[in-house]
Formats: sequence, structure tokens, C-alpha cells
Amino acid sequence: MLMEVKNQINVTLKSIKYSIMKEMLNKGTFLMNIFFMILNDASFIIQWIIIYNIKEDVGGYTFNQVLLLWGIAAGIFGVSRFLFKNAFHLSDFITNGKLDSYLVQPKNVLLAVISSSSDSSALGDIFYGYILVFLSGFTVIKFLLFTLFMITGAIIVTDIAIILGSLSFWINRSDILADTGNGLMTNFATYPDGIFKGSARAMLYSIIPVGVTVYMPVQVLTSFNYSMFFIINVITLILTFFTFFIFYKGLRKYSSSNLMFSKI
Amino acid sequence: MRKYTVIYMANLMSNLQYMANIIINSLGFIVHIFIFFHVWNYIYENPAELIYGFSKTQMVWYVTITEIIFCSVAGRRMVRTICNEVRSGNVAYNINKPYSYVGYIMFSNLGEVTIRLVFYVMIGLGLGITFLGSIPTITIIEGIVIAISWILSIIINMLFLTFIGLLAFIMEDSNPMYWLYSKMQLIFGIVFPLEFFPTAIQPIIKISPIFVTSYGPAKLFIDFNWRFAIIVILAQIAYLLISLGLCKLMYMKGVKKLNVNGG
Repeated sequence: MLMEVKNQINVTLKSIKYSIMKEMLNKGTFLMNIFFMILNDASFIIQWIIIYNIKEDVGGYTFNQVLLLWGIAAGIFGVSRFLFKNAFHLSDFITNGKLDSYLVQPKNVLLAVISSSSDSSALGDIFYGYILVFLSGFTVIKFLLFTLFMITGAIIVTDIAIILGSLSFWINRSDILADTGNGLMTNFATYPDGIFKGSARAMLYSIIPVGVTVYMPVQVLTSFNYSMFFIINVITLILTFFTFFIFYKGLRKYSSSNLMFSKI
Repeated sequence: MRKYTVIYMANLMSNLQYMANIIINSLGFIVHIFIFFHVWNYIYENPAELIYGFSKTQMVWYVTITEIIFCSVAGRRMVRTICNEVRSGNVAYNINKPYSYVGYIMFSNLGEVTIRLVFYVMIGLGLGITFLGSIPTITIIEGIVIAISWILSIIINMLFLTFIGLLAFIMEDSNPMYWLYSKMQLIFGIVFPLEFFPTAIQPIIKISPIFVTSYGPAKLFIDFNWRFAIIVILAQIAYLLISLGLCKLMYMKGVKKLNVNGG
């Protein structure tokens, strides 16, 4: 069992390595994409400077906490798209019968699919996340916790993308639904939860779990809280098991479209 | 012009078949308005308060209008499509056709843009009235001028997006340019009117495309005056010619360097 897990991890790491190497074929474009993504993310600081010039706190967040919020949000989306880009294109794989070549491999189908492509610009998001953590006040503990929350958040965001993508096993042309769902996660993750009230706020801790990926980590990073730390990790684990369950349940309904394509 | 009308109508009819897609896509637009409503609701503790001369009602309407104009164009997809056509060499299929490539791109996207615009105007006005309970008072003539200004802003935005896509002729991937363009639009035009920026930056925004694509058309809706309307429309005509010229120039220069690898 342990040997099997070790082998699976090795295969997934190799898959990630090769998809990154593929992205690095044109080094100029690779570096430009990273640089422009950092610039793209950084432009939002202007928005928050203007807002904090008007009001001292927004939704109970100080400017430094908003930097952390943005850092975590950028890092999460960076890690998920850098390592598991195809989780966000799962609908296309299912609808167009592109899973065939993964089904014949003697390893985990889901991990093989989602790790087979990488987005180089997402590396810019990860760098930007770390830059903001340094700007908000660096400590070793904060750095380690930030890295952990970036990983748990990335796992949850990838889980949500897989669940939404897996809808294509049952619903035809659900790719737009998946794209919209993934977009919702990004939109809400970059604004403090304190500005939302009532059911809108409750939604952010349930259906759109931005609360667990971003808001709770910001609170733990600001003042450490064991119960929140525990909740974040447990929810990540439960959601991941649920994601695998949904994908493999849906996979039984998968039918090939006899599509021939090359994987380069 | 007839051939472009045919392209436009074909795209319009094709997109009418996929109304469900446009409805689902509008969720993102609704969420943007919802978030900004909550942001401004939080910032304006007193609804009668004025921030840089804007009331809460004006700010929510400002963001709603700029979002309608910006979201009506699927900018990311438009740039990605042009960029991929240039990179893959598929643009060559359009060279020997009896129409201009820029004209083809514009009219083949305008069909979808028309549907989105009509749909988003209905949703945007509906949300604005739901959140705020009122709509700025405008006469029919003012309404027509505002509508012209919105349409011009969308066309200018589409031309700039086409230009960004065509940049793929000189750079491997022009998508990063779109990220910067959209964020500049978002920060300096969509979210905040230019009065919110330091006085040193305001003249730069006034002469930038942001003035004609976001600030001008939205300001006309929330605080119409004829002098400002003439300035906005004249600036839009100038930018229309500039953006069209840039697209033509980039296409003419780029197509000379085109290498098609057969297949």
C-alpha cells in the first residue's frame, strides 16, 4: 500500500516536471508571462490604497491584512494552476473523450489528467503571494503557515474545479457552469468577508468555500488559532476524498468519442 | 458593407442559439455588481455622504455602467482567439478573402456583443434599481446620446483588444498584454472615477483610452451635461480613428512577416 502511494507520488511529480519543462521551451515567453502576471496582480494594490485613503478599515481588515488576503488568494490560484492546470479544463476532457489515453495508464487517472499541463504565468501569482507576505511583515512562522495555507487552499480550489468539471459526466455542455463556478471563487477571494452580511457571508463559508481557503487562513496568520488551523486541514482532507469519490463515480458514465489526438 | 452585415448577422443568429451560455456567463457580471455594491455600502456609512463629489447612489451606478460596457465584450476570449490564429498561422486563411481581417474580427464578434449588451443592460438596470430603489433622471435625447457613447466605447474597446491580439505578430504571446490592459481599465476606469486619483494622475487618465471607454460614458449616465457629452463623443471619435489606424497598421506590418508552415 505504502509502496503504491510512493509510486503514485513519483509518477505525479514526474508528470508535473514534464509539463513545466514543456512550458519552459520558450524561455523568453516563460519569463515574460511570469513578470506580466506579477504586474497584473500588483495593479490591485492601487485599488486598496485608494479605498484605505477613504476609510481606515474595510470589513474589519487593516491594510496589512488585505495584503495577506491578496497574497494567499494569489498564491492559492498560482499553485493550483501551476501544478494542476487541467483540473480547470476537465469538462473538455470528459465532453470530447480525451480521457481515453489516461484510462489505459496503470496509475491514478485523475492525478494523471490534472497534472499533465502547467500554466507558467501562475508562477507569477505564487511569487506575488510571497512578495505580499514579506510586505505585510515577515516572520519564519508566518512564512511556513502561509506556505501551508497556500497548499491547502490550492487543494480546495482544485477540488472544486474537479467537482464542477465532473458535472460533465452527467450534464452536457456544463463547461460554462464550471468556468463560472471557478470564477466565483476568484471574485470573492479578493475582498474581505466583513463587507458581506447574512446569507451572502454564510455562502462564503459553505457553497463557495472562500472562507476556508482565504478568510480563515488570514485570521490564523494574524493571530494563531488552533481550532481554525484544525478546521482548515480537516475540511481540505474531507473535500479531497469527496472529490475523488465524485470523479470516479462519474467516470463509470464516461464514454469515449473515438477522438484521435496527440499528446505532446 | 453588405458582406460585414452578413458576417454580423450570422454571428448574431449563431449566438442566439446559445442563450443559456450567455445567461450562465452573466453570473460573473452579477457577482461583480454584488461585490461592489457591498464594498460601497460599507464605505459610505451615511448614504447622504459625498466622497470626491460622488454619492453612494452615483458610485453604485457608475460601477454598474462601467461593468456593463466592459463585460459586454468577452475581451480575454477575443484576444486569445486572434493571438492563437496568428501564432498557428490560421490567419492566412483570411488573407485571400474579399474582406479586411480587422473588419471580419470586429463584425464576427459584434453579434455576441450585441446580445450580451442588451442582456447586461437589463440585468444591470434591474440590479441598480433593486439595490438603490431609483435610477438617474434623463430625457429621451440625453438617453440617445448616452447610448451612442456606450456603443462607441464598446467599439473602441474591441478595436484595442484586436490590436492587442495582433501584437502576436511581433511577440510570441500577446495575452499578458491583455492582462495589463484589462487591469488598467479596471483600476483606473471601472472601479473608480478619475476624481478618486491624485491630481497629478488625472490629466493622464483624461487623455488615455480609459476616459472614452469607461469614465466618460458612465459619468454621462450619472451626471449628464451637454458640454461634457460633446467632449466625450469627440474624444471617442478621435480614439475610434486612432484604434482603427493602429489595428490596420499592425495587421499590414505583421502579415508581411507571416510564415505559414503548411499542413
